[in-house]
Amino acid sequence: MKRILIVEDEEALCLLYKEELAQEGYEVSTAADAEAALALLKGESFDLIITDIRMPGRDGLELITEIMGLRKDIPIIINTAYQSYKQDFMTWAADAYVVKSSSLVELKAKIRDLLNR
Amino acid sequence: MAFSAPDFQSKEPRELTLLSIISQSFFQPLSVEDNLLVILTALTSGSGVGFNRAMLFRTEGDKLTGEAWLGPTSAEEAKTIWEVLSTPGIGYIEIIEHNRWLMTKRSDSLSRSVKPLSYSLSQDNLTIPATSAARKEMLLVRNARQEPLVDPKFLEILNVEEFLCVPLFAQEKTMGLIILDNAFSRQPIVPKDIKLASLCALMAGNYMYAAWLHKQMIEMERLAALGEMAVFITHQLRNPLTAIGGFTDQLLNGRIEEAKKRRNLEIIQKEISRLEDVVTKLARFLEVDVRKTVPFDLKAEVLDVIQDPDLRQKSAGIEILTEFDEPLPKVLGDPTYVGEAFRNLIANALEATDQGGRITVSGRREDQNWIVVTVRDTGKGMPPAVKNKIFMPFFSTKDKGMGLGLLFVKRVMEAGGGRVEVDSDVGRGTSFRLFFRAGDEGRTDT
Repeated sequence: MKRILIVEDEEALCLLYKEELAQEGYEVSTAADAEAALALLKGESFDLIITDIRMPGRDGLELITEIMGLRKDIPIIINTAYQSYKQDFMTWAADAYVVKSSSLVELKAKIRDLLNR
Repeated sequence: MAFSAPDFQSKEPRELTLLSIISQSFFQPLSVEDNLLVILTALTSGSGVGFNRAMLFRTEGDKLTGEAWLGPTSAEEAKTIWEVLSTPGIGYIEIIEHNRWLMTKRSDSLSRSVKPLSYSLSQDNLTIPATSAARKEMLLVRNARQEPLVDPKFLEILNVEEFLCVPLFAQEKTMGLIILDNAFSRQPIVPKDIKLASLCALMAGNYMYAAWLHKQMIEMERLAALGEMAVFITHQLRNPLTAIGGFTDQLLNGRIEEAKKRRNLEIIQKEISRLEDVVTKLARFLEVDVRKTVPFDLKAEVLDVIQDPDLRQKSAGIEILTEFDEPLPKVLGDPTYVGEAFRNLIANALEATDQGGRITVSGRREDQNWIVVTVRDTGKGMPPAVKNKIFMPFFSTKDKGMGLGLLFVKRVMEAGGGRVEVDSDVGRGTSFRLFFRAGDEGRTDT
């Protein structure tokens, strides 16, 4: 079973993603901020990471930089409320950029693509 | 106009007098139009450069458009004006006021006739006067009717043989153009006039450029504020909407166990009240309307806020001290809004301060006109990058912050004729100083 880590500070969204992705047959863990995510990454292995950008403490872009520093070859999807972060050079380091939407169709499709690559 | 009347009769060289008048006016809180009027007045007043008429064009983008024309409409009127204006006791200020009337208020003012004149500076076959602005070169035309390069429409309005075109520019940017002539005195334009005119134009061009830069800067600040607002709206609205939509989908798809249905509805309800909260706060902020400022007891208002059970609950482990002058005179403001402003400041201070810290609210009379209340905390403080942005709409460092609280404080203070200042040191704390106008008889600047 493919393992996905979701980094998201919105409690309701964590729950929604967790259930919806479990429904798709993935094993899902969640972290509420960058620190919690890095702690999980040290102890466990994941096949894909989905991260928000605007979070308390270090933001999602800093988290991506950290993960790259760990030389972890894990596909990353940015999932944010903002279109505008696409202009940030660091978002290019991620494998996909999905703007939050009440329909999870795009997010699920990106996950499938990246895991089957 | 507040500046002292300059003395055109002084023995100083005329250039110096002109320069001093024009530069003095630039330091006054006058509008761009008033300052341009000062320049046109300097160019036309008999005691200044002494041209009969001055026509002003301004550029916007590549368009050069007639804006104003200062001078009498006939030889008779010129004579009357010169007589009036050379009456002993008539000063520069009277001349400017007279010119304002001449240029804008009068129904047959010359200005009306130049408004239709407009040239595109980027086109190839430019005519005079636009050529002068495009090339940034002064042009003296002596026999206008024999000069094929002069725009006939322009000449028909100007109706003189001799005129001087003086471009206004700075940093290679063309700001406008002035046309000068002696239509009534028929005095030829001599090198000394040209030299003085170019001096005025140099100052006018640089002044207009500075005014243009200032306008650009304000526009950029406005856009930055819009950017903050866009970020705010996206964050505050998209997250709850995503959750509401997602959990509703689950309900509609029917793939959800019976037990979880109620949970979904509760989440949806919670997210909706979050959206409502955003709308309420935003509306409350937008509806701030401080119209009535009355003298009120500031100390009582502040003590009321501090006693508030909500704040008391948050302040567990943090000491709140008050130090007020006895008695503290009344201040001017809207007590309800001022109370709310203090609530915002104290709530912020509490959030920034760890247990064991201290918040001091002190009030004292600064001088006859001002009462100053300081809210000082021993909290974490702000780096300059944050401090500089705290009064921007929708700027917040808090996870759930709206970024409107401190802007509210600023609006309330300014609406009451006061102001707010902030000092902050990272690791040492922050202090907000609120300046209220004294509401008692001790004031001197009523």
